[in-house]
Amino acid sequence: MTANTGRWIGRTYLGLVLVFLYLPIAIMILMAFNRSALYELPFTFDTVWFEALAKNDRLLTASFNSVVIAAVNAVIATTIGTLAALGLARYSFRGKRLLQILLFPPITIPWLIIGTSMLVFFFWTGIGRGLHAILLGHVALSLPYVIVVVGARLASFGPQLEEAAATLGATPWQTLWRVTVPILAPGIMAAALFAFAVSFDQFVISYFLASPGTSTLPVEIYTSIRKGFTPEINAISSIIILVSMGLMMLVVRHFRFGGER
Amino acid sequence: MIRKPITRRMALAGMAGTAALAATSTRLRAAGQITVLNWQGYGTDEAWALELFKEKTGYDVVHDYFNSEQEMLTKLRTAPGAYDVVLINSIYVEAAASEGLIQPIDTSTIGHFGDLAPSLRDSERFVIDGQYNAIAWVWGVTSFAYSTERISERPSSIQALWDPAHAGKVGWRDDALESIQLGAIATGQDMNNPTDLDAIREKLMALGPQIKTFWSSEDEWNKYMAAGDYDIATYWSGSAARSKKAMGLPVEFVVPEEGAIGWFDGLCIAAGAPDPAGAASFINFMVDPEFYVRWDNEIGAPASANEQANMGLPEDAMNRAVLGDPEVVKRLQWMAPISDEQLQANQELWDEVKTSFVQ
Amino acid sequence: MDATGRRRWAIAGLTGPAYLWLALTVFLPLSAMFYFSFLTAAPIGGRESAFTLEHYIDFFTKSVYWFNARRSLELGVHVTLICILIGYPAALVLAKQISGRWREALFLLIILPFWSNALVRTFSWTMVLRGDGLIGRMINPLLPAGWEFDLLFTYPAIVIGLVHAYLPYAILTIYISLQAIDDSFIEAARSLGASRLKAFRRITLPLSIPGVLAGIFLIFVPVIGSFMEPRILGGKNAIMLGPIIENQFVTAFNWPLGSALSFIMLGIVLLVLAIASPVLRRHLSVG
Repeated sequence: MTANTGRWIGRTYLGLVLVFLYLPIAIMILMAFNRSALYELPFTFDTVWFEALAKNDRLLTASFNSVVIAAVNAVIATTIGTLAALGLARYSFRGKRLLQILLFPPITIPWLIIGTSMLVFFFWTGIGRGLHAILLGHVALSLPYVIVVVGARLASFGPQLEEAAATLGATPWQTLWRVTVPILAPGIMAAALFAFAVSFDQFVISYFLASPGTSTLPVEIYTSIRKGFTPEINAISSIIILVSMGLMMLVVRHFRFGGER
Repeated sequence: MIRKPITRRMALAGMAGTAALAATSTRLRAAGQITVLNWQGYGTDEAWALELFKEKTGYDVVHDYFNSEQEMLTKLRTAPGAYDVVLINSIYVEAAASEGLIQPIDTSTIGHFGDLAPSLRDSERFVIDGQYNAIAWVWGVTSFAYSTERISERPSSIQALWDPAHAGKVGWRDDALESIQLGAIATGQDMNNPTDLDAIREKLMALGPQIKTFWSSEDEWNKYMAAGDYDIATYWSGSAARSKKAMGLPVEFVVPEEGAIGWFDGLCIAAGAPDPAGAASFINFMVDPEFYVRWDNEIGAPASANEQANMGLPEDAMNRAVLGDPEVVKRLQWMAPISDEQLQANQELWDEVKTSFVQ
Repeated sequence: MDATGRRRWAIAGLTGPAYLWLALTVFLPLSAMFYFSFLTAAPIGGRESAFTLEHYIDFFTKSVYWFNARRSLELGVHVTLICILIGYPAALVLAKQISGRWREALFLLIILPFWSNALVRTFSWTMVLRGDGLIGRMINPLLPAGWEFDLLFTYPAIVIGLVHAYLPYAILTIYISLQAIDDSFIEAARSLGASRLKAFRRITLPLSIPGVLAGIFLIFVPVIGSFMEPRILGGKNAIMLGPIIENQFVTAFNWPLGSALSFIMLGIVLLVLAIASPVLRRHLSVG
């Protein structure tokens, strides 16, 4: 097989994977423009749902809340998660196994249980419900993802570069900022995006910890199943995807978060 | 050297952000505001109704929702003082009262109290030691509805759900209690005290080839009916009215000859409610014919506990014609309170039935 | 401060914030649940409760629980395997064949589906998989008589929905590992006469194991407890351990049983991964 054929096969394969990933999203966007409220085909083009969305304060406020929480969550979770991943990867100590195992519960135990236990616990300790409680919960759920993703990157790299820097006289701080973080950059970036996504899409915890009157987008979507799952939901989801895509293209144009050596 | 301040700045930003969030999340309770806890889309949150209420009384109404009765109880337990009015199914009122989650209601503050049907209003579910813990609000029937387009002859027996002619086209709600109650009715037993659970289990397992998929909300039911997945499906009377009227689906609700499940809901005042007077006035508004008739006419609702309100409906409205028929009411078995152990046993039985579908 | 002391401070400082946060928000609340799992009833609302192991014993004695636990584990294995098998080549292509801006753009494109709401995505899948849905309308007229494309409300539909949801995790974690591998290693091996395949097997694959393991962790574990995709896509085939546990909280008031089942599930997952990861490491390592 020549290198060129290999390339073509590779690219076609990747293309197919992307088609698979985007198929339901394409449908989701399509249905946002379909007139039927019950998602019935045949397809008739209409922007009625976007108009309805513009008047839907509840949904818009909830979306705004979601974005803000997800952003703050991403910053906090990525920061303390990266630090933890560094600690776990670069040092061995007693109890390290335990700390690694402790990453399992937040991901394994069904969110309903974590949500209920958080609700009860926050009630007992006076933390209560509300946006602050939601943030507490989201960071907790994002941390395992951040730690695992950054940890994988650290494991693949190995400590050689850092050790080399140390032998050349760099202080731990310098090594951290000049060597480790740049190497980790793609991992940190990916972890931050994960954390944002985990928070943005999280509804069980948000549902339990939201106080009456405040809400996040997934909670609105979830509770609207009871009332009537109208394509306004598709409309807002489409907007979010398209805006995210736009933002990402901008990011790619202006920043290289590389990892290229 | 250059990088360090960024970290500190980021940390400060993070803290500021969190503080801002914390500040906004302490709810400021406006004067003249009450909080209602209910199912979503179940009457109390109709926009026009809340406007009317505000005009009459000046009160703003904020809602919080639950998706299951257990959730409602959890919310009451973990947020004392957050709610004024809460909707509780009759079978849970006694438990809620004994746990101290709701407070007795001074019935003199409810103007329409005298118009409520005594059988519901004075039910032992609501009245404990002479005190009224809930005001009867609406009642309805759990049975089934069918598509008039795809089934030409109106089924009169509950066995229609097991009819092989409808195999793969039956809709069912994934709820342990409801399933077992329907199973009891279909095997001729008292649904609140079934004696032969094995018969019920067998009967429910026979649903395997019948059920297309489960529904868990009115909206899902509507979508599956509209898509042709269901020809016949279990359903609630109030929801059937809504599906027919507001969604325009060609369906009919049936109370079969073997009987069906009767239930009723009450509006309660939460213990520690910040504004019991406002709560009482809201409850009174909910049983007012002015609200109820419009609710049923425009959107569709369960039957009202207020007999005057029911009389205000057009003659062919289902709540008046079908549920107002004493013969129909006689066939109903009314839900009774259920212990935690019984709930648990039911859940296990139903899980076993569902597991049999995949074995 | 001496070196050991400094080292201890470093470890505490690095891991401290994250684990303290987790302790407050997850571990402490869950310990309460763990405690409940040994009681007959949750001590809420004045209920009497006594110590018991019955909930844990129930898992082993009642087939409804261990049968569905097995079902969930199978689902986890199927989904994880498919995700890794599809995801690894994709990550490889992305890391090795594509370069520059394209690579980063595609990397972000793969992450993007995360930001669509999972519920909406899953409902969109129902439109694709139903008999009269997108694919059905195209294929069914072409299929021979008696054959019908109607995947909705079947087990494969659940798998498809979950694979779609978790595939990006696999691609991402594997990609991040692959990207860390220095191409000069490969070049060195090739110049010493190794074939492309051998270089892959001996160098690339082993070095990418951390990424694969991370992917397995992030996929297998949540899939086992999933309830939404099974319910929406699986119809009456949706019964699995996740929904059963949920029901103990949503329909029945049996927090002790729900907690017990969750912790058993946690234990099983730990066991499975404890066994799987050294095996993987050994078989795919250098030498």
